[in-house]
Amino acid sequence: MSASDTAQAKGVGGAPLGLYVHVPFCASTCDFCAFYQTQPTAETVLGFLDGVKAEATLVDWPRPITTIFWGGGTPGLLAPRQIEVLGATLRERFLGEPQEWSVELAPASVTVERLAAFKAIGVTRISLGVQSFSPALLEGLGRQHTKEQIYRAHERIRAAGFRSVNLDLMFALPGQDEASWMADIDAAVALAPDHLSTYCLTFEEDTALWVKLSQGKVKLDIEREARLYEETWARLAQLGYEQYEVSNFARPGHACLHNLNTWGMHEWIGLGPSAASQHAGWRGANIADLALWRERVARGERLTEDRVALTPALLAEDALVFGLRRNAGVDLAPWRARCPEAPWPVVEVLADRLVAEGLAERAGSRLWLTNRGRLLADTVGAEIMAAFEIESEQISL
Amino acid sequence: MPEPMSAKNTRNFCIIAHVDHGKTTLSDRLLEHTNTVSQRVLTAQHLDSMDLEKERGITIKSHPVTMTYRAKDGQDYKLNLMDTPGHVDFSYEVSRSLAACEGAVLLIDAAQGVEAQTVANAQLAFGQNLKIIPVINKIDLPSANLELCTRQLEDILTIPAEEAILASGKSGIGIVDILEAVVARVPSPRWSDYPQARILVFDSLYDAYRGCIAYVRVFSGSIKAHDMMMLMSTGQKAEVKEVGIFTPKMEKCTVLNAGDVGYIVSSIKTPSEVKTGDTITIAARPATEMLPGYKEVRPMVFCGLYPLESDDYEKLKAGLGRLQLNDAAFVYSSESSLALGFGFRCGFLGLLHMEIIQERVRREHDVEIISTYPSVIYHIVKQGGEEIDVDNPVNMPDPGTILEIREPTIRASIIIPNSSMGDMLSIIMEKRGVCEHTDTLDMNRVMLRCVLPLNEILVDFNDRLKSVTHGYGSMDYELGDYMASDLVKMDIMINGDPVDAFACIVHRDKAESKGRQLCEKLAEIIPPQMFKVAIQAAIGGKIIARDNVKEMRKDVTAKCYGGDISRKRKLLDKQKEGKKKMKQIGKVSIPPDAFIKVLQNN
Ligand SMILES: Nc1nc2c(ncn2[C@@H]2O[C@H](COP(=O)(O)OP(=O)(O)OP(=O)(O)O)[C@@H](O)[C@H]2O)c(=O)[nH]1
Ligand SMILES: C[S@@+](CC[C@H](N)C(=O)[O-])C[C@H]1O[C@@H](n2cnc3c(N)ncnc32)[C@H](O)[C@@H]1O
Ligand code: SF4
Ligand SMILES: [Mg+2]
Repeated sequence: MSASDTAQAKGVGGAPLGLYVHVPFCASTCDFCAFYQTQPTAETVLGFLDGVKAEATLVDWPRPITTIFWGGGTPGLLAPRQIEVLGATLRERFLGEPQEWSVELAPASVTVERLAAFKAIGVTRISLGVQSFSPALLEGLGRQHTKEQIYRAHERIRAAGFRSVNLDLMFALPGQDEASWMADIDAAVALAPDHLSTYCLTFEEDTALWVKLSQGKVKLDIEREARLYEETWARLAQLGYEQYEVSNFARPGHACLHNLNTWGMHEWIGLGPSAASQHAGWRGANIADLALWRERVARGERLTEDRVALTPALLAEDALVFGLRRNAGVDLAPWRARCPEAPWPVVEVLADRLVAEGLAERAGSRLWLTNRGRLLADTVGAEIMAAFEIESEQISL
Repeated sequence: MPEPMSAKNTRNFCIIAHVDHGKTTLSDRLLEHTNTVSQRVLTAQHLDSMDLEKERGITIKSHPVTMTYRAKDGQDYKLNLMDTPGHVDFSYEVSRSLAACEGAVLLIDAAQGVEAQTVANAQLAFGQNLKIIPVINKIDLPSANLELCTRQLEDILTIPAEEAILASGKSGIGIVDILEAVVARVPSPRWSDYPQARILVFDSLYDAYRGCIAYVRVFSGSIKAHDMMMLMSTGQKAEVKEVGIFTPKMEKCTVLNAGDVGYIVSSIKTPSEVKTGDTITIAARPATEMLPGYKEVRPMVFCGLYPLESDDYEKLKAGLGRLQLNDAAFVYSSESSLALGFGFRCGFLGLLHMEIIQERVRREHDVEIISTYPSVIYHIVKQGGEEIDVDNPVNMPDPGTILEIREPTIRASIIIPNSSMGDMLSIIMEKRGVCEHTDTLDMNRVMLRCVLPLNEILVDFNDRLKSVTHGYGSMDYELGDYMASDLVKMDIMINGDPVDAFACIVHRDKAESKGRQLCEKLAEIIPPQMFKVAIQAAIGGKIIARDNVKEMRKDVTAKCYGGDISRKRKLLDKQKEGKKKMKQIGKVSIPPDAFIKVLQNN
């Protein structure tokens, strides 16, 4: 990891390059979810596949793709034939064979035929959105699957034989006590996944749960969330899963390379509505609307939203903000070399203070947060941003 | 130009009472009965027109209104009513309204009986030689005790019980009786045959379009548009642009005659040039003696007000200027603080007044402000005999140079049930007060006359009075003498740095408990912080109390994929914006209302 930090910090040509495809279809909308998705129809799915094909021609493919991630939405809703078409479309463009190719699936739509199609195009890693094993909690989230479907889906995935399997779980759900969360962890671990993502429920604006929160029907309890985080981290460590990021755990050799690439501020190409990209000097996202995305792609336009030019200072800042969410933290030295004008003295003062108060640790030029510090990663991030802002104000004076 | 109703048929009166005895509600019934405001548009507590008044259900400003009433004698009368506030902080409003009247309707809540401001306001009215019409109100309440009320009228207020009218503003009982009593008992307008025009300014208001609007009572002569008027205190002349009456909204009319209550818009734009209490006359034929003004009120409580964003300084300054015009009891002057930058030292009549003004600055002038800990004015006698006044603890001279510190006291009249006597005396003692007299009011109640340091009653005295008396106690006070006392300046330090805005002056014996209380409260109010933050209270460098701000426990986004990176930055940016709403002191974000909060929940 340290070697790739260095590669990016130097902006070297042979650095990793990710490919993200956003498949914007779900059978129904879960109460907590703010990801862009719509209900699929024969027409919209075909439109989407054509759109990706068109968008792919707009992209400059400078070097081999190292990782692929199909997220959503639910890529697992595509029919086997469509999976093959999408796979072929991409393979026409990208060079080389990716080290990792992940796809997100929802338990209700996992079929033997679809898995075979994924396998055939070269997918290596399956991420299954379990969320919970408790029927009552699944119901409460507006999830469309049953506990039985989880087990059946998992069996089929294992039988198909992918290199890595991840399960997504959520905690701090309304009505979930500590015991039932521990039971969910145990149930997940009993399936011996290679990777686990445990997400603390986030109340995203414009979701059904958000409405409930603003109506006071459910309550936020930060202290409880903090406790559940700590217990999760302790429990999974005990069970042999190594934490490598706030919400991610893996058995040795199974960390998600695509996400590490993203957090390390390397480059990735995003295709599909709402997909974000960071490459060729720009960061930005496509519009989160299937029809508008298609129109724009037809006009040769992509990354029309939140577009910013990548500068060494922005990358250095974000490498710190997002890198500190990782257990390994960040190696400051390569970023310092790449962006000497960044406010390193201010960062050093902040780092010293974090270390002095037991929120971070340091070895040489590598800085990482302790468990207590990682629970405050957003505040730490805001402090880093403030440091960079002061500096840019002074520069502009 | 003869008016349809001569001054002979005009009656000017106000409604006075203890807080919440139903003045504004009774006014509703009078407006309704005289068809001044049609039933269709009449809202509850109609005269409480400010949002703040409506929300809090209390009257803050006096509100004038002109009504026409056909009395049982068949004649039409012009009745100028003024609804007044009942809270002790606003008693100044009451005395100004009284100066514009010949009579006062004194309400007594039938369930509460006579309370402290009943006595105080009745005395103000007696002092101005007004005819008092006693009304026992809220008789619809099951707990109404008419016998007690009439006895108290005689015993405490020395008003003959047979004069009392029984009424209920809620159920509309006794309304005609009150109107008839106003016609029959309140004298017609006084001093109307003075040879020149004399017009009392009893209030004023600033309007962005029309400049200053003076609220006036014409005692003699008349005034109309295009007259050249003169303010007698300064000799300043101005052209009258418009005159009108209150219905209760302002309604233009051709002329205001002797006995009338109304408003004058003139060519004067600057708020400070029209002083409440001044007499207006006609420049061509000026009067020689001013009307008796009223004694100027002096603010008793001071605090610093600072804009949260330093860019808002000018906006705050303009806002305070306008509020002052609308509220002569409020004063301000510029000052600066190390922690807070440039701002203003402001003086108020009491804590409620302070809270109301702060709220009005925020709302009506749209400036976010932060306030310092309230203080009173101390007299300091220095070695060598020099005397100085200090209204800001920061300006306290070095203790080594001080011979004596004197603090202001109040003379309080506290009415309580006999059963609360023990508790009340111990509160008075705790607050460093002395009780000089106890008068038995009736079988159940006593009135304590005490002297207390003003400083001690600022914060929670009234709440504690209410609580030990189960709501039955009440208090009125006026400023007393200055007395020497063993006072010290207490600094509050955040992470070891004294924050000037938090400094306060306390009695030496109480410094420790006060310090502890302040630190505890601040630790609770300051939002949890990532880094350890110590709050300490110190006297002359010696720490006497300390506490820590709560540690922040969790602030981390759960999920962070590629698409979240630009989104996540937005989130963190938003968080920074939120922080901007707070005042950065050292490394700590302090919410702007920290001190109001410290004072509130005690
Ligand atoms: N039962 C009953 N309640 C009343 C009557 N008059 C007023 N109230 C209630 O008493 C409370 C205070 O009424 P207000 O009219 O605002 O009293 P006020 O004297 O104007 O109060 P301040 O202006 O704040 O001093 C309100 O809750 C009214 O609804 C009455 O005749 N009977
Ligand atoms: C974009 S979803 C895609 C997976 C697939 N559609 C599914 O739901 O099974 C990826 C994961 O994000 C997590 N997630 C989505 N919304 C979340 C929220 N509001 N709070 C916490 N986790 C959330 C869920 O665990 C979900 O499995
Ligand atoms: S959680 Fe997954 S299945 Fe549910 S709405 Fe979001 S993307 Fe679709
Ligand atoms: Mg009122």
